[in-house]
Amino acid sequence: MGKSDKSLHIVLLYCLTQLGVIYFVYPEDIIASAEEGHWLPVVLGIFVNLIVTAAYMKGLRYFPKQDLIGILTGVGKTAAVLFLLPITVYLFMVNLITVRAFAEIITIVFLSNTPLWSIIALLLAISGLIAMNGAFSIMRTGVLLGLLFLPLMAFVIFMSFQNADWRYVFPLLDDNLGFLTHKSYLESLFAFATSFLFLGFVQPEFKYSPKKVLLGIVALIPFYLLAVYIPLLTFGRATASTFKFPFVMVVSTIQINWLMFDRVTMFLLLSLISFTMLFIALLIWQTGVIVGRTIPKVKMSYIVTALSVVTFIGCVMVRNWEDIEELFLCNAVLRLYVWLIVPFAVYLLGLREKRRSGYGNR
Amino acid sequence: MEAFLQELKRSLGSNDDLFEMQYVFLGQVVTLLGYTTLTDISMTVSSLQQQEHNARGSRVGEEAFWHTIGSVHPLSVRLAVSAVLDGQVVLLIEGRTAMIVVDAVQRELTRAIEAPSNESVLQGPIGSFNEDLDTNLGLLRKQACTDSMRVLNYSAGVAQRKRLSLIYDARHADADMVGKMIAQIEANLDREIATTQTLSRMLGFTKWQAISKFNTTELPQEAVSAMTKGKVVILVDRLPIAYVLPNLLWDMFALENDRNYTVPIMIIIRTIRVIGVLLTLLAPAFYVALVAVNPEVLRIEMALSVAVSREGVPYPAIVEMLLMLVILELIIEASARLPKSIGPTLTMVGGIIIGQAVVTARLVSNMLIIILAATTIANSTVVGFQNSLSIRMFKYVTVILAAMFGVLGIMAGMVLLCSYLASLHTFGVSYINLSFKGEIKHG
Repeated sequence: MGKSDKSLHIVLLYCLTQLGVIYFVYPEDIIASAEEGHWLPVVLGIFVNLIVTAAYMKGLRYFPKQDLIGILTGVGKTAAVLFLLPITVYLFMVNLITVRAFAEIITIVFLSNTPLWSIIALLLAISGLIAMNGAFSIMRTGVLLGLLFLPLMAFVIFMSFQNADWRYVFPLLDDNLGFLTHKSYLESLFAFATSFLFLGFVQPEFKYSPKKVLLGIVALIPFYLLAVYIPLLTFGRATASTFKFPFVMVVSTIQINWLMFDRVTMFLLLSLISFTMLFIALLIWQTGVIVGRTIPKVKMSYIVTALSVVTFIGCVMVRNWEDIEELFLCNAVLRLYVWLIVPFAVYLLGLREKRRSGYGNR
Repeated sequence: MEAFLQELKRSLGSNDDLFEMQYVFLGQVVTLLGYTTLTDISMTVSSLQQQEHNARGSRVGEEAFWHTIGSVHPLSVRLAVSAVLDGQVVLLIEGRTAMIVVDAVQRELTRAIEAPSNESVLQGPIGSFNEDLDTNLGLLRKQACTDSMRVLNYSAGVAQRKRLSLIYDARHADADMVGKMIAQIEANLDREIATTQTLSRMLGFTKWQAISKFNTTELPQEAVSAMTKGKVVILVDRLPIAYVLPNLLWDMFALENDRNYTVPIMIIIRTIRVIGVLLTLLAPAFYVALVAVNPEVLRIEMALSVAVSREGVPYPAIVEMLLMLVILELIIEASARLPKSIGPTLTMVGGIIIGQAVVTARLVSNMLIIILAATTIANSTVVGFQNSLSIRMFKYVTVILAAMFGVLGIMAGMVLLCSYLASLHTFGVSYINLSFKGEIKHG
């Protein structure tokens, strides 16, 4: 494989995986965290995300010929274990939680009679198949899925303004910054904590411009705001804060006279689930790459199959939504570690590498 | 000389259409050998006599005369056999250890250039490829009319030697990709190439592809436009189609001939084809999903009318759907097999059964017939028959997943299909690329 600029593919993949995540728990957390002026927590969160991602990419830039695993193992055995083991466990846990949570949502929304395990099997089988074909294939699948489902999603979002009452926008500013210490706000930040990791995995094969990735994140700001504000505008803060998935709830209230379908929620969920499948595929692939590096003799397709099977067993063992939330909390420490420590560690390693090669040149 | 003749005849086997004649040219006794079924003997002989007459008149020497009537080779059974099989005549001179392969007058065994039989053209150049490789090459040259077109000829196969030509536009094609193809062809010249399957094996493709690696066309216009987009065209003798490599997803929706209309019309035509493919994949699946798994998604009036139309149908929606789809496939296949004069009978009978009788007998619902008709019509909007076959097959994936998981299954089927399409690549070019200049090294 040669090198050429794959920024578009990568930015699109990043955006799609983010879109798949932010319409469920994220609005709920943000609405719970602040009384008014919700745009501030949203924008602040994205700003932090920008800094983290920028530091991560900046660090990666110093190692143009290595991916994340190469960089971390290059430091030494202990460091590699110290970093890669948490990342692997984290990715696996996120995968498990995502699959299980989405299976639950699917059962609630459309398939109340279908056994849960078969939905989990479907999600994992398709994501596993996508993951088996490798990173570039995942990106191209992303392009096709974007072409198919983004218009559908745009339609639903456009339609969801149907019952909006713009007076709910006010007051624009909250006097105190109480949200900063709110538990829900910290949880909302977790929405950002996974998608950016793959930037370190695709690196040696595919070039991308960090500026475009950052631009992509900025371009996503309206979508985060929509995810939070549409429920607020429709129900008002007091009501919206009582819902489990406020955005999904808004979409369920849409009534379109000329459409033969009664539930527009379906279109939104289908689009989101398709993006989530891509996200799951990406997670399986990343975990597979790390595992593959430790046991290089085994073929990637076997590793991916094994990972999918293990995830399946794990998902089936999770009994209910409370368990999922518990897992989510257990994962919180790892999340913070991966989101805050790893990018800056990569950045510092990069600086060290630069200094070292700088001395070498003299 | 005599021994060589015997060996040559033994190699060719005992055939009643093999002729062997003796003539005298410039005082030399010669033996002519060839197939009466491939060459026109009397025309060939009279042409030779005419040349001999001219040679006598201009006092050309005997040696020079032999060179004017054909190419002189040392005795070689292999060469002689392949020349005779190609429809040429081998001329042996008494007492010499050389043979002359005479370019004989051929019998007319190829049809004339006609309108395409599998692709119809609206307001565009209508001449299509036929079975003769040279004619096809000529058509391409005439259509392209460029100095950058390159033709490479090969002869492949052992049991059946077939000629194969690889044509590309040196100005547009990626040298790397062409090089890879040439290397692949040259390494596998002993493979048979009589059919598309064997040809694809020769080019190193796996047998189990749901989507053809080649885009096939009968139209010189399409082949030339592919060449200007950097693609490579392969022509095989006796096959009236051009294989275009690599095949891309967009080729399913775009024809060069669309450009003979204005841009808005071209966009609309292509959009209709995209809608056609989506409808083929989604319509039957939605029927199954909405009837069997997720009726609550439909508006209540609509759900009721579907339920009423299915009243009395004794089996689940998936069985109903598969049953009718299979019958439809049978009709399509049968009308392809039947002679043109009996074809209309079949359409009529099929129309009566599908349109009226099954519904009246309450075997399937009215709604299903509508879905089925829409699917069949939509399926035919795709460019290229092999693409329409692939799409026809893919719809079963979405239908079966829809029966299991409802609307979620349809989405899963589409994701699966997208990932399959995204994983395909030909000589390093991804199937879903729109154009592939500068993309070739990936994949």
